[in-house]
Amino acid sequence: MTENKIDMAAMVVDDPVVEEVKVDISREETIVARVTERFPYLLGTLTIQRPGRIISNPLQREHFEEVLAYLISEQSFYTFHLVIGVDDGDDLGFIYAISNQDKIVFLLKERAPKADPRIRSLCDIFPNALWHERELVDLFGAVLEGLPPGPTYPLPDNWPAGNYPMRKEWNPAYFDNKTMTYNPPAPKNTEGGAE
Amino acid sequence: MAEKITIPIGPQHPSLKEPACFTITMEGEKVVNAVVGLGYNHRGLEKACESRTYIQDLYIIERVCGICSHAHSTAFCQSLEYLAGVEIPQRAAFIRTLVAELERLHSHLLWLGVGAHEIGFDTLFMYTWRDREKVLDLLATLCGNRVNYGINTPGGCRRDLNDEEIAMIRKAMNELEEQVKYYTELALNDTILAARLSGIGKLSHDDALRLGAVGPVSRASGVPDDVRAIDPYAAYGIVPFKVITDDHCDVFGRAVVRVLEMQESIKMIRFCLDNLPSGEIAAKFPRRIPAGEVFTRVEAPRGEDTHYVRSNGTDKPDRVRVRAATEANWHAVRHMIEGDMLADVPIIIAAIDPCYSCTDRSFVVKDPLTGKDKQMDWGALRQYGIDWYRKERGVDPSRIPLPGKRFY
Repeated sequence: MTENKIDMAAMVVDDPVVEEVKVDISREETIVARVTERFPYLLGTLTIQRPGRIISNPLQREHFEEVLAYLISEQSFYTFHLVIGVDDGDDLGFIYAISNQDKIVFLLKERAPKADPRIRSLCDIFPNALWHERELVDLFGAVLEGLPPGPTYPLPDNWPAGNYPMRKEWNPAYFDNKTMTYNPPAPKNTEGGAE
Repeated sequence: MAEKITIPIGPQHPSLKEPACFTITMEGEKVVNAVVGLGYNHRGLEKACESRTYIQDLYIIERVCGICSHAHSTAFCQSLEYLAGVEIPQRAAFIRTLVAELERLHSHLLWLGVGAHEIGFDTLFMYTWRDREKVLDLLATLCGNRVNYGINTPGGCRRDLNDEEIAMIRKAMNELEEQVKYYTELALNDTILAARLSGIGKLSHDDALRLGAVGPVSRASGVPDDVRAIDPYAAYGIVPFKVITDDHCDVFGRAVVRVLEMQESIKMIRFCLDNLPSGEIAAKFPRRIPAGEVFTRVEAPRGEDTHYVRSNGTDKPDRVRVRAATEANWHAVRHMIEGDMLADVPIIIAAIDPCYSCTDRSFVVKDPLTGKDKQMDWGALRQYGIDWYRKERGVDPSRIPLPGKRFY
């Protein structure tokens, strides 16, 4: 019975092992071929990660919207799973997970500068995008054009404006949850002052 | 014309990522509008994960949900294993599957009990929760915990099964099979339950797809989506099972799907025990994971859990995004409540199997224009639903006859 327990420290090694897996990805290849044929600027930017997963590089808004419209109307990507916000330094990234009837998940990425993170709300196409998009507004400070009015989510009503906790520069250590204020180290102190 | 009444139901409850407040507007008995308010207890787990190592994150992720904890930790471990290029041993895959099915069994038994309680069939509630204890005892023996099992680790599992434990699971499965057979008969053939549950909380096949419903909710609307079948993980590519669907598209269908899934789970648990491969239970796993990103799906008892993990070459993740099944089903709930009666609201909300107590406070507030305010808590609303059906429809689930013999 005592041998059932695994020593965690002994399991950890420093060199990752990478293995190749041989699989059938013909359906994914067909989709990628059709999409790149229609939008030549996507050539070489779509990756088939594994069966059922296609990943794009981050696209500018105009490109993102036309590719998304094509995927929905021509390639039957009707199911919206979620949108994932990411902090890419000077930009905010938005990763939309959509899937088609063959259950192939397409991770279509959009990028907008942090200075002006305007993107289009997809609530009119996918009603279930509502809460995920509200989350982008609260946690990342994205501006969703066309998002239906409603309560904020998920941050409390008395959350201080201009604080976007999922951005990398926002440090929870500086937030006082009694007074609901964010007190970073004195701004006159140039960067690198955090201890 | 009946006066309009607005009823906020919820929101506080500390156990789920998404406690909810339903603000329901009534016209007489009918719900004309439902607004779902979420976000009352956001715990900031995703931000917390970014500043901790992968092993520390595993313990945070496991606590996203008390009931689906194994599903979340499986999804997270699979994400890390994919990023690191580590393949888990077959025995570990089978143990993961076994625990996942035990989790499904206990979650569905819990749901059946809660559902029965909401319609005033408390005897069934006692039966199912007694049976659920059997499963929790097994999980406690196998993993050391009743919930938050801690059996998963990146690269495999942390505890092995021995012959004594296998015999114990087999014995419990034999007993549970008898009970589940009875629940199946009850769900499929009992006229009182059918009268109470059918036709309420309608969600058509098209709406289930459009609103992104997942798990038993979508399968009860005839959508054969089960991540275990469409995107197999752990040992699900090997273990045979049937994806249960139903075309009732209502609460009755959701009950049928869950009861039949319990039968499948028992078969799968037996298959796992019969075909448990020998060998190691964990592969070596690196401390640092190369940069990459992965989107993983796992079928939790309540539906599809999705995890997104982005690594940056260090021992901490760059981004972790978790979407639990309930979060996907809220959109459908609003649609299901609208047009139904107040007496059906408790069972409709319960039928998506949310972390249920998040709706345990409710207040009826009359339109301020009409003057009087009236308060009603969740218990009163439940009692209202039971009494209304007894009086208006003559449906009283507590009259359902129970089997004479004790199974164990």
